[in-house]
Amino acid sequence: MLDSILPVLIFSALALAVIGAWRRVRLWRQGRSSPVPILKGLAAMPRRYLVDLHHVVGRDKVMSNTHVATAGGFVLAAVLMILVHGLGLAQGVLGWVLLAASACMFVGSLFVARRRRNPPARLSKGPWMRLPKSLMAFSLSVFLITLPTVGILPEDFGSWILAVALAAVLVWGLGEMFFGMTWGGPMKHAFAGALHLAFHRRAERFGGGRSTGLKALNLDDPKSSLGVETPSDFTWNQLLGFDACVQCGRCEAMCPAFAAGQPLNPKKLIQDMVVGMAGGSDANYAGSPYPDRPVGEHHGNPHGPIVAREGKALVDAETLWSCTTCRACVEECPMMIEHVDAIVDMRRFLTLEHGNTPNKGAEVLDNLIATDNPGGFDPGSRMHWAADLNLPLMRDVKQADVLLWLGDGVFDMRNQRTLRALVKVLRGAGIDFAVLGNEERDSGDVARRLGDEATFQSLAKRNIATLSQYRFQRIVTCDPHSFHVLKNEYGELDGHYEVFHHSTYIAELYEAGRLHFKPWKGGTVTYHDPCYLGRYNGEYEAPRNVLRALGIEVAEMARSGYRSRCCGGGGGAPITDIPGKQRIPDMRMNDVKETGADLVAVGCPQCTAMLEGVVDATAEIRDIAELVADALVTESDPHTQPTAEARIAIKEVAS
Amino acid sequence: MQPEAHAKAALEVAVLVSIGRHPLTGRARRADQDARGVELAMSLDKARITLMHAGALDDDSESALRGYLGMGFQTLTLVEQPRDADVIPALASALSETKPQLVISGERAEQGEGSGLLPYLLAERLGWPVVSGLASVEKVEDGVATLLQALPRGQRRRLQVRLPAIVTVDAAASAARQSAYGPARRGELRCTEALAVPDEASSEWTVQPARKRPKRLKIVKAASARDRFKAAAAKAEGGGGQVLTDVTPEQGAEAIFKLLKEEGVLR
Amino acid sequence: MTGILRRDPRQEWIARNRLHPEHERVLAELGQGTAVATEWVGPNGVIRKNPHAVGFIGPNGIKRIDRSGVQQAASAGRGVGHESAAADSRRRVEIDAPAFLVAVVPDMAGGRLSSHDRDLLGLARQLADADSEQPGAVLAVVFGNHKEDGFGEAGVDRLLHLDEEVFDGYMPEARLAALSTVERELAPYHWLLPDSKLGGADLGRRLAARIQERPATGVWQIEKDDACELGWRCTARGAAGTTDIQRALPRVVLALAECAEPVSETRHAVQPLALSQVLPPLLGRIEDLGQVAVDPAGVALAEAEFILSAGNGIKDWDGFHHAAKVLGATEGASRVAVDDGFMPRHRQVGATGTWVTARVYVAVGISGAIQHLQGIQSCEKVVAINLDPGCDMIKRADLAVIGDSASILAALVDMVEQQREEKRDAA
Repeated sequence: MLDSILPVLIFSALALAVIGAWRRVRLWRQGRSSPVPILKGLAAMPRRYLVDLHHVVGRDKVMSNTHVATAGGFVLAAVLMILVHGLGLAQGVLGWVLLAASACMFVGSLFVARRRRNPPARLSKGPWMRLPKSLMAFSLSVFLITLPTVGILPEDFGSWILAVALAAVLVWGLGEMFFGMTWGGPMKHAFAGALHLAFHRRAERFGGGRSTGLKALNLDDPKSSLGVETPSDFTWNQLLGFDACVQCGRCEAMCPAFAAGQPLNPKKLIQDMVVGMAGGSDANYAGSPYPDRPVGEHHGNPHGPIVAREGKALVDAETLWSCTTCRACVEECPMMIEHVDAIVDMRRFLTLEHGNTPNKGAEVLDNLIATDNPGGFDPGSRMHWAADLNLPLMRDVKQADVLLWLGDGVFDMRNQRTLRALVKVLRGAGIDFAVLGNEERDSGDVARRLGDEATFQSLAKRNIATLSQYRFQRIVTCDPHSFHVLKNEYGELDGHYEVFHHSTYIAELYEAGRLHFKPWKGGTVTYHDPCYLGRYNGEYEAPRNVLRALGIEVAEMARSGYRSRCCGGGGGAPITDIPGKQRIPDMRMNDVKETGADLVAVGCPQCTAMLEGVVDATAEIRDIAELVADALVTESDPHTQPTAEARIAIKEVAS
Repeated sequence: MQPEAHAKAALEVAVLVSIGRHPLTGRARRADQDARGVELAMSLDKARITLMHAGALDDDSESALRGYLGMGFQTLTLVEQPRDADVIPALASALSETKPQLVISGERAEQGEGSGLLPYLLAERLGWPVVSGLASVEKVEDGVATLLQALPRGQRRRLQVRLPAIVTVDAAASAARQSAYGPARRGELRCTEALAVPDEASSEWTVQPARKRPKRLKIVKAASARDRFKAAAAKAEGGGGQVLTDVTPEQGAEAIFKLLKEEGVLR
Repeated sequence: MTGILRRDPRQEWIARNRLHPEHERVLAELGQGTAVATEWVGPNGVIRKNPHAVGFIGPNGIKRIDRSGVQQAASAGRGVGHESAAADSRRRVEIDAPAFLVAVVPDMAGGRLSSHDRDLLGLARQLADADSEQPGAVLAVVFGNHKEDGFGEAGVDRLLHLDEEVFDGYMPEARLAALSTVERELAPYHWLLPDSKLGGADLGRRLAARIQERPATGVWQIEKDDACELGWRCTARGAAGTTDIQRALPRVVLALAECAEPVSETRHAVQPLALSQVLPPLLGRIEDLGQVAVDPAGVALAEAEFILSAGNGIKDWDGFHHAAKVLGATEGASRVAVDDGFMPRHRQVGATGTWVTARVYVAVGISGAIQHLQGIQSCEKVVAINLDPGCDMIKRADLAVIGDSASILAALVDMVEQQREEKRDAA
């Protein structure tokens, strides 16, 4: 009897799945167009899934293996089930493989079940709690119905009651796995996720590449919309990406704003976008809410506003402005969802259309427009800090090996110390460098993260025009934000440069033997990875190499490298200043305290300012440039200060 | 922004806006006080707001005027005038045509003569009352506006004025909202022609960047050179930081009290 | 001793000869008690000075001369008598038949001439006294009650006191009508008004518009120039204080503070003057409903003149708020105090908060992070109250008191309250 219902069951489930898929695709297609190579993407999908995605999933070994067993077993079992039970191709080895696959999947689902027994807070509950049971139902029922097929059990084993029971369990399994996959069940992640990988907006991310620069808005076309107002203003593959979310909450666990109690939870934000895309309220969301924001008060639809000018819509503006754009969520996301892009897209609308950048945002943007720096300082006073340093100006020398990009730290008394140190180091290594002086402008980083694409592009274009007047090999800067923008975001506006963060450059100089250091005599040192150097540009090693060269053994914080916790200074977060329960830099200094370090080495003026602003800190904050400058042994006059080896050499010559 | 349905009950407000100039870089921008004026107008209930500017149209002025549009307006009336024109006749005729109930302007322009005379001359021509230095408009009822005038140190004075009237905005009025790029880009500058009257007197002036004014020396009536020295030296001495350690709270408070008195901040 | 000066030529010679072995002793004798004489009465009663004896050797071995007079104060008893005579040496000036009138409308803030008014009167005197053959007279037009009795010393020749109730408060229309009448009857050669907010700036512009004279505003300097119509040229601030405009001095002038030195050498007649006509009744369209009570705590930080700012060192927050209230200060805070939730964000002072321009900034328990110090750069006087004598705020402060902030604030509050009490009793 099962033989006759099985194909019906399977094909009706498949048919429902296809209908659901079509409906889902229609939801995504509400988004704006975004050209991607469809066939190439589909062809690249398996590799992206098996290599890139599992590279992220593999950070948690148990979950990774669980997923391999469950997902691999399921895909195999599903295909074979269609062949074996749907099309009746039961001959030979296929049945046995199907048995093995479903068994494998069952084992995997046991692990999923174990994980769901005491799920960590970051995991969503609700329908996700039934998933292990559904997986078991599917794998077990497929296993059992295949037993007679391969002949382990007789064809007519058991009574019809057993058959009906088995069929019922199978219906449950098929419902969850096939029907639920395209109709919005937990298994949706597999369907949407696979296509998301195929049609990802940043294909460069796969295969070990990196793509972190924000995408430019086309401002020349007066018809093009400025950022994202409604869910349908996202591109279709962004919407698809939101749908791929598996609600694992790894982003939530890493998000500094969430930890600080600011009203942001990346997972919830993505789920809200899904709610908006499909229309409805967020009442069914089963994960952690935005801190202090109850679930169920927000609702939206594909063509309704995401943020209301007044009152509530899908998301509160504070949620979007809490983000520090540290990319910890993107780095953690196994589905490779681009949270930061989405947030900045929505911020763009708030700034460019609503004119509603909170707190000091409006003032900072006005300053950037009027004075080319966020503080509103006289642009003619950019070089006042270096009045005594006699820095060569590009305007005078026209060309140099290194263009030293100073950044807006020139107006900040703390950062001026770092800049002085960096100048000392460059001079110590005998580098031919020059600065733009008063011709330099803000790189546009803050404007862009605050959503003011117009100001960013204006600044960027003028900077590019200035830079095009001079000849230089490379740009060196001690500000990772400028570094990132110059390196990754000016390209779209035709500014292509070789840009170095000062730590990378110093590391190179040391390698080349152009810098010599005194041995380190201080206490324990830890290193704080700036987001825009680390996660945005993958530079984790050079600063550590420099510290090692100084003779420092870095006492690493629990969260370092790609998991480094943000200082709270990125993305204009100190400007928009959304209140939380605690401050992000305070949390970071607690991380420092746990290492017992007396000193934190940093490589970013924002980080320096944020961390130094922590009261009663246990550690001193020094920029890498400062540490290097302090340890620098100048070679310019070796006769007055001979090193130990040199002295021996002299003695040998004398004897 | 401008609900046509309420046109009958609406209060017609015209805001005179000028091209501002950033004090450090000299770049054209929304003039601070004028932008506050626009904000004041937007805070009024059921107001139909017209933005009006008289002057030349070029790249700089356009970007500045679009700054006002970016506060959420569809149009701005631009009474085109050459650069050296006396804009008062043109503005006066434009205003007498549109007949607003309330005209709001800044106290003085950020470029040109910046004499702050414009509202007074307009008022004299139109025969309207003029009130200067507003912090806010409390209400408008039956053709009478209740206003709050800003006094120094954050103090306020309540005034009533019969409309139509011209009011100027103080720096204490609430700051202008952010100018958004989208509406600024979309907004329309509606140009109207007007007779240009050249401002002849100003062509005879020489204008140069402001010199630093000499700081006035403390005038000391003293018979002898020594006393004058003494007075001058006593002033200079105050500049050094004085640190009181190991004093009782009363002595410390006494020293602070003396300083506060000297500076005249205690009322 | 008799009053006859007795000379000892030998001693005088020794006093002049620094190489004489008895030089020091003789100087000491002439110096009458001080170690070395620096001044003595020479022959003919002329004061002689020994410049070599002035000053002292500084710590670096360099001779230092203290010109503050501290050193000499002890021996300077002689000069005292002259000062009392000098106190009232002003020349009396009466101009009976002035060639023209220079009308000044002082603000009379608080019923007295403000320093701005006095500067303006000084300017008026320059205009009036330019030609000593044909001096003009300075006419002050004063509205409402006043408490000033020094018009003469300030340089006023004629005083038109319009003491009617209609001028009380913000009554620009009534005042303008009165000034128009003055213009008709007396036709002053110049009208001078202070370019001060809500005072002369408002009234002066109204007057200029009414009598159709183009005024010069923001004037801060005048000089003679016969090429100009009225014989004077002026320099005025334009474009919100960013340009200087040189132009002929017009009839109506709105001048800035410190446009001229106030009158100090002369004393003028202050002859009362009255208008021949009775001012016509006026139907005003502006009505003054009086001042509104404003809480000093509500004043915006950037505008505030006097800020009491709290930092990490504050333990007694009630005491702090009370002190701010009693002192009439606007409350500020350091970033830490804001982060810890004791003060709202818009009260934060510093590079990351509000840049303040207070005249007096009292930092209580603020150690002075660099961003904070940047934010108070343009404050005139900084007072620090702190427990830590080594903190950066102390280095910045003009006056620093090391001690417990709570008790110092409490003592300060007592002092202010006590003084207010005394004032009230006296009044």
